Amino acid sequence: MNLPASLPPRARRRRGPRRKPVFAIAVTVVFFVLLYLPIAMVVLFSFNAQKSLTIFKGFSLRWYEAFFHDNVLLGSLGMSLEVSLVAMIGSVVLGVALALGLVRHKGRLGGYAGLIMMVPLITPEIVTGVASLLLFKGLGVTLDSGTVMIAEITFSISYVTVILRSRVAALNPEVEEAAMDLGATRWQALRLVTLPALLPAILASAVLIFALVFDDFVLAYFTTGVDPQPLAVRIYSAIRFGVEPTINAVGTLMLAGSITLIGLALAIPRLFGRRGGLDLISGE
Amino acid sequence: MALRTPVRTEAPRGGRTARRDRRPRPSAAGARIWTWLTLPGTVWMSVFFIASLLLVAAISFGTTDQLGDPRFGTNLGNLQALTDPAYRDVMLRSLGFALLTSVICLLIAYPVAYAVALHAGRFKNALIAAIVVPFFANYLVRMYGWSVLLSDDGPVLRLLRAVGLADAHTKILNTGFGVIAGLVYGFVVFMIIPLYAAMERMDTSLIEAGRDLYGGPLRTFWFVTVPATRQGAGAGVVLVFLPAMGDFVSAQFMGGPNQIMIGNLIQDKFFEGQDWPLGSALTMALMAVLLIAMFGYLRRARKDEAEATR
Amino acid sequence: MTPTAATPAVRLDHVSKEFNGSHAVRDLELDIAAGEFFSLLGPSGCGKTTTLRMIGGFADPTEGAVLLSGEDVTALPPNKRNVNTVFQSYALFDHLSVADNIGFGLKRKGVPKPEIRERVGAMIDLVQLGGMAERKPRTLSGGQRQRVALARALVNRPAVLLLDEPLAALDLKLRRQMQVELKQIQREVGITFVFVTHDQDEALTMSDRVAVMNGGRVEQCGTPEDVYERPESRFVAAFMGTSNLVGGVYRDGTVQLEGGPALPVGRRPEIGEGSQVDVSIRPEKIWLSDFEPGMPVVNGVIRETVYSGPTTTYLIELAPGVTVAALEQNTARARMEDRWAGGETVELGYDPEHCLVLSH
Repeated sequence: MNLPASLPPRARRRRGPRRKPVFAIAVTVVFFVLLYLPIAMVVLFSFNAQKSLTIFKGFSLRWYEAFFHDNVLLGSLGMSLEVSLVAMIGSVVLGVALALGLVRHKGRLGGYAGLIMMVPLITPEIVTGVASLLLFKGLGVTLDSGTVMIAEITFSISYVTVILRSRVAALNPEVEEAAMDLGATRWQALRLVTLPALLPAILASAVLIFALVFDDFVLAYFTTGVDPQPLAVRIYSAIRFGVEPTINAVGTLMLAGSITLIGLALAIPRLFGRRGGLDLISGE
Repeated sequence: MALRTPVRTEAPRGGRTARRDRRPRPSAAGARIWTWLTLPGTVWMSVFFIASLLLVAAISFGTTDQLGDPRFGTNLGNLQALTDPAYRDVMLRSLGFALLTSVICLLIAYPVAYAVALHAGRFKNALIAAIVVPFFANYLVRMYGWSVLLSDDGPVLRLLRAVGLADAHTKILNTGFGVIAGLVYGFVVFMIIPLYAAMERMDTSLIEAGRDLYGGPLRTFWFVTVPATRQGAGAGVVLVFLPAMGDFVSAQFMGGPNQIMIGNLIQDKFFEGQDWPLGSALTMALMAVLLIAMFGYLRRARKDEAEATR
Repeated sequence: MTPTAATPAVRLDHVSKEFNGSHAVRDLELDIAAGEFFSLLGPSGCGKTTTLRMIGGFADPTEGAVLLSGEDVTALPPNKRNVNTVFQSYALFDHLSVADNIGFGLKRKGVPKPEIRERVGAMIDLVQLGGMAERKPRTLSGGQRQRVALARALVNRPAVLLLDEPLAALDLKLRRQMQVELKQIQREVGITFVFVTHDQDEALTMSDRVAVMNGGRVEQCGTPEDVYERPESRFVAAFMGTSNLVGGVYRDGTVQLEGGPALPVGRRPEIGEGSQVDVSIRPEKIWLSDFEPGMPVVNGVIRETVYSGPTTTYLIELAPGVTVAALEQNTARARMEDRWAGGETVELGYDPEHCLVLSH
């Protein structure tokens, strides 16, 4: 290493072992406070005894009670759960198959599939929403939970495929060959060996998709019918057209739900005692 | 060839050509499975995604009938309407908001990613999880909490007034700054993750060497850390810019009628105004901006990659 | 065709394999007898693994046919061939226990459960994995995983067992031990082994016959002694351990080195007078003392002495730029002070019979 001769050797370099970047740490602390404060406010005011959204007047569960007696909101909750479940199953089945095909299939179909699979990832949701709405209207389909499910599956397949594709590519192809060597057909090798090896990643992406779809608002907003509406759409209307503290309670429940699911998605690989589930950092 | 193999019992030369011809290709037959696996997802995406996007493009040339339903056509009016100053201003504002959001995210994400990646020690993974997890919480609820926090009599402004940094007229909500604050809060994680990944990959001895070469931490940061993480920053800018450009919630929750973005216009044309062809044209305009941004980024990234491998 | 003792377990009938226009394997003709321990030896990229994969059914010959016990299996997928493979990566099923890994093939074939349990148990004993039956592969050491892979293949009693560099991932000590054990197991079960390796020691130690491959062709095929003592080409001579290759002109039973002595190599009627040849002789076949009567002796200068425990290697210059290696055993009788030092002139003796003369 060439050091400029003007620098006294060592003396300057070792002013501290590695000085703490005070500015960066200060920004990080403020960042964390601002990141969690809004969430904390929602949680706090969901337990407010009064209707005020800015002043806390004592602890109460009245808004949770109100939610569990509100049939419209409960209907929405049921619809959201139903849509999330169907979208999760549909997109995982299609997405896993697509990931396997994309990695192994070397041909024009694979090239085309790989390309169109990337487009949804760079398309803002509002565009996907508008496009889905136009398609359903054009086909003369009545908007209801079915159309939401289709739109959510379309939106989710890419995520499943992206997560699974790197996992499939990392598989040792000899393992599948070993199964065939031992008498399995290609399908059996896939079912008995490849899918079990992918299971942690499949489960993690399934949980992730469930959480994303349950929380998704834009696509649901464009593709849902009038009644019932998914919970996220109800929350949107409620926030826009007059806030009831019930929303804080619903929001808190949703926060708890999605944070649990994400924690689960991150923990699944560990439950299987190995890496290979969800890598949020490297998966873009 | 000089092979010391056992003596052949017979040489089945006669049957060879014929046998080769009728032989099915085992691996080719086995490979068909991959086609069958690729096909359902591809067909699904072609119908529900690609075809629907093409439909948006087609409808943007359409008209509406008396009932307000869209009709196909060869009408250029919708695309011409985009040049209308009212629409043009909204599009420019959206572009400005999204770009500013990207820059602010960059300014926040650099110190945060730096502190977490290089100075958090064994808490590194826990901290990055603590950053990522809230972003999977419901966007609307988060945005609502953020708007309450920044509201006129919310905690932030009360604190600022108390220390004299704001007066009774200072507002955050219903200003352009409020909208940008919402977008930043919504998407800053997309900047932190790629930057964090880039800094983690970075050889920390580079920083030590930079201290030797450049002296001060700021100069070291500028001459060593920033170039080493440029690709991560580029990816982050794109990942923030894309959703920020298409967002309409922040403008609704944090802004006022003078801060609407292109997403709000689209929403309005589809849900209130019932002018779907114009909404489609606006959607195409949005998509065009994003594709240009994406294309520019990919070209830049490829150039960087080519330089790196040279 | 009914299999008889004379029917080879594996026959490759003019087999070629092309990948994108380049030949990985070229017009291969090979018979492997039943019960043989047969090695395919060569550097990486020589086509040995491709050959193995064609026998196993994982690669499709571009031309030619693969016959197992006289039956043409070229068109059959791997699961329909009576061969099993031990993969280089072991390719164990991580989600299954050791016992379930070993029983996988039997279960596919619909063997009744009690029989599976019995055969898996016997196999676990054979490969000395007692007490590990319920462990998951990930918790095993490299050597143990290797044994599971072997047991998983052997339990199916295949006609031929294919082994793709199965010992490559093990450390040297374990590799030596597994070499002996593999050979023992092969004798015990009497199954034909086709063994791919790039390690000539391994091939020589274990095999009944070795095929040395290079550039998609078999350069030489024979017993370990054949290929080691009597290499038929420069490549084989060079690949089978260190060999001296010295160039010169053949004339009347000698090879004249440029600017050096003429080496008597015995009469070679197949070689033309005055033609340019290479003489190959193994370092351990060169004597530095105690010559036998009638042995040709030439002079050389010691250039370097490399001591490596049981042996010492001397690099000796015979003529300007022509150096040969000679290997001396450091036996009980050889004393330290008897070793030569650099710069000393020594005499080299050898038996012309040990010289290989390879024309260009």
